[in-house]
Amino acid sequence: MTAAASPVAVMAERLRLKYPGEQSPLLFQGLNVTIRHGEKVLLLGPSGCGKSTLLQVLGGLAPAAIPIPLKADRLIVPERAGYVFQDPDAQFCMPYADEELAFALENRGVPQERMPAFIARCLEEAGLKLDDPHTPIATLSQGMKQRLAVASMLAVEPDTLLLDEPTALLDEEGTAQVWDALRRIWEGRTVIIVEHKIGLIADDMDRILLFAPDGSFEADAPPDVIFRDCRSQLQQYGIWYPGFWEDYAADRLEGHLPKLVAPGTAKTICSAGAELELAAGSAGIAGSTDMEQTQPTAPSAAAQQAQPQSADSGSAQLAAAAPAPLLELDGFAGLRGRAAKVRTGKLFVYPGDWIAVTGANGAGKSTLLLAIMRLVRSEGRLCLCGVPEQRLRKAKQAAEHAAYCFQNPEFQLVTDSVRDELDYSLPDTLQGEIRDAHVRQLMSRFRLNGLGSRHPYQLSMGQKRRLSVASAMARGQRLLLLDEPTFGLDAAGTAAMMEHLEELRRDGCAIVMITHDGELVRRFTTRHWLVEDGQVHAVPFTAATPSAASTTASLSFKGGLPE
Amino acid sequence: MNLTFPHRQTWLHRVNPAHKLMVSALLFVLVLFTHNLNVMILLTAAALLPLLFTGHPPLRLLLYASPFLLLFVSSASGMMMFGTGDTVWFRYGLIRISEESFYRGLHLGFRSLQVAAVGLTFALTTRPVALFYSLMQQLRLPARYAYSFLAAFNMLPLLAGEFLILRQSLQIRGRRPRGLKGYYERLRMYAIPLLAQCIRRAHRTAAAMEAKRFGSGSGVRTYYYRYSFTGADVWYAGYIVLSSVLAWQLGQIGPFTSAIDVR
Repeated sequence: MTAAASPVAVMAERLRLKYPGEQSPLLFQGLNVTIRHGEKVLLLGPSGCGKSTLLQVLGGLAPAAIPIPLKADRLIVPERAGYVFQDPDAQFCMPYADEELAFALENRGVPQERMPAFIARCLEEAGLKLDDPHTPIATLSQGMKQRLAVASMLAVEPDTLLLDEPTALLDEEGTAQVWDALRRIWEGRTVIIVEHKIGLIADDMDRILLFAPDGSFEADAPPDVIFRDCRSQLQQYGIWYPGFWEDYAADRLEGHLPKLVAPGTAKTICSAGAELELAAGSAGIAGSTDMEQTQPTAPSAAAQQAQPQSADSGSAQLAAAAPAPLLELDGFAGLRGRAAKVRTGKLFVYPGDWIAVTGANGAGKSTLLLAIMRLVRSEGRLCLCGVPEQRLRKAKQAAEHAAYCFQNPEFQLVTDSVRDELDYSLPDTLQGEIRDAHVRQLMSRFRLNGLGSRHPYQLSMGQKRRLSVASAMARGQRLLLLDEPTFGLDAAGTAAMMEHLEELRRDGCAIVMITHDGELVRRFTTRHWLVEDGQVHAVPFTAATPSAASTTASLSFKGGLPE
Repeated sequence: MNLTFPHRQTWLHRVNPAHKLMVSALLFVLVLFTHNLNVMILLTAAALLPLLFTGHPPLRLLLYASPFLLLFVSSASGMMMFGTGDTVWFRYGLIRISEESFYRGLHLGFRSLQVAAVGLTFALTTRPVALFYSLMQQLRLPARYAYSFLAAFNMLPLLAGEFLILRQSLQIRGRRPRGLKGYYERLRMYAIPLLAQCIRRAHRTAAAMEAKRFGSGSGVRTYYYRYSFTGADVWYAGYIVLSSVLAWQLGQIGPFTSAIDVR
């Protein structure tokens, strides 16, 4: 692309801006940006460096519509900017799809008789096929909602597309569909993107602007150059890039990962590797394997050949030797209304298991976990830590044995400070000194030291997430159910969260985790449940032996495996 | 969360929403100045009749109307048993039913039922979108208020969904603070996360609306839906006028023959 010859589409010279409020520091101190017509530019940087705000300035939305204290020597904004935002639920002001598109057309004064044809064209270009455009937006999936957002952006006939993490809240399928739709329409238009999940689009970009945490420019170069020359910065800021997990694993093996890891955790992963080695060894495989390596399925695939059973019959067989299961399900179903939303066969969860629950948005993953927690009605057999479902009538009773973390941690945090939050969760039987000691212990265990008097809402996303896990597990439960624990976290936060869960698992907890991230399933979990067509399948991929083996292995490890 | 229920569209849906709103308001003023029990009863009957033409099944209508029926019983019986009057029919402890209080109670009950029936008919046959489009077109309501209300309506189902999540999360935490202080405590536990979420979402929605040129558009708004007056409006206005006049006239005759003025 000969972008240099094209006219300037967007430009900012010596841009300075800050968030409202006296104490807030300057966000950008004399930033210079020039983007030419037709260029595709990705803004990359750590969370909180001001990328989204910059996007609003470059598109002309701030300060015209969103008041932000801002100064610039020169500011050129596009004539017709179109936006797609992150949150599918907060983008629409009308209840029906056609009305939402019409809203944008009305604002532009498009005559009424031309609207239906216009609406149909926008929907088609955005790749959203609706039988009737007059469809309630609430009935669309998240991925469809984002494509509707793309369509309503097209309704303003934009020359510049500004995309503010349009796929952050979508599953893999929805993400791919949205990028497909955007790719079809962005030819000939200027595109500026803020996004964390860049695997699908990095190659389409002409330039990447890399920001440091203070909002200064770190680099401005084509993607291949950035990913070649700026790896250390990307790693340090905890930004996703293609190959992040490979580098992460490699660094892990060498035993250094400066910023991400607290001392001591690297060791745990190595020992997890040792575990897997044991598992592989028992299946007759020699040589060193490590779960952090790039072919993590190799040992387990071989292990399956040696022991060709389904995951759960495998663990059931070993159950006699292993400790009692923390969770037993048999013909269990989570109900929504009167209909079964999700059904399981015979499933067991043992201490040391880390189970990934995957499936499309709305497949019933959350319903399964909510049913286990007795928050939605269920039928069939459930046994939590040896307690049968008859004695688990209420969520409160289930919460004695299992901890549950919601996707949005804010809904779980009910008090005014981190310390109160933990204190609130402890059982009443603990009093005085012992209670305080417990709170302190939880704070250090979940790396919340020094934040005791902070309001939960003032924490970073990663800290909020850790606090919600800490308060959920305050009663010493050994089964942890998590609904997308890495949701909204950047790469560094995700890695830290995973390491933390690994630590818990090593201590003998079992983790059942809903996730959409295939990398996490491959690299961290020991077993995999797939929810499909309302049925939970135990996927025998890394599963068969490691799940059972990890329990036995962790026992033998405690028995004194050399480090 | 689904807060709407499927139903048939009827001629009442086609009545201009602004027109319907004005007429409903006028009916309210009319019953305020109705002190004749007979007239009140007939007006109530006239207000209940259109409910059958809202396109909702009768059982569901009964469900919607149940709080109003309760209101009818409670306000009527309260006034009957504890009101003042000279001709005492029945007395037991504090309860004292007199002829005057009996009729006054009935009058009050029918008045609340009439207002409820008119309001319910309006709500069941008018989409918020239609109402605000019509208010913009017929009554010159500024667009910035109309769309703000519509955006707020859109948030209600999300708010309901979040409320359920919050309730589940508090169920897990298990502690239900009791007493008056506990009530305040629970209110706080629900209100703060919901409000925080709402403020954030309102901010985002506002940005998204601005991004679609809401504030900076061409200046001349066009409308996807146009509302004007149709045959349905004539029928509706005709029915209301005719039934009200009839109620006033027939009310002088019956169904009750005495004590028709409750003042």
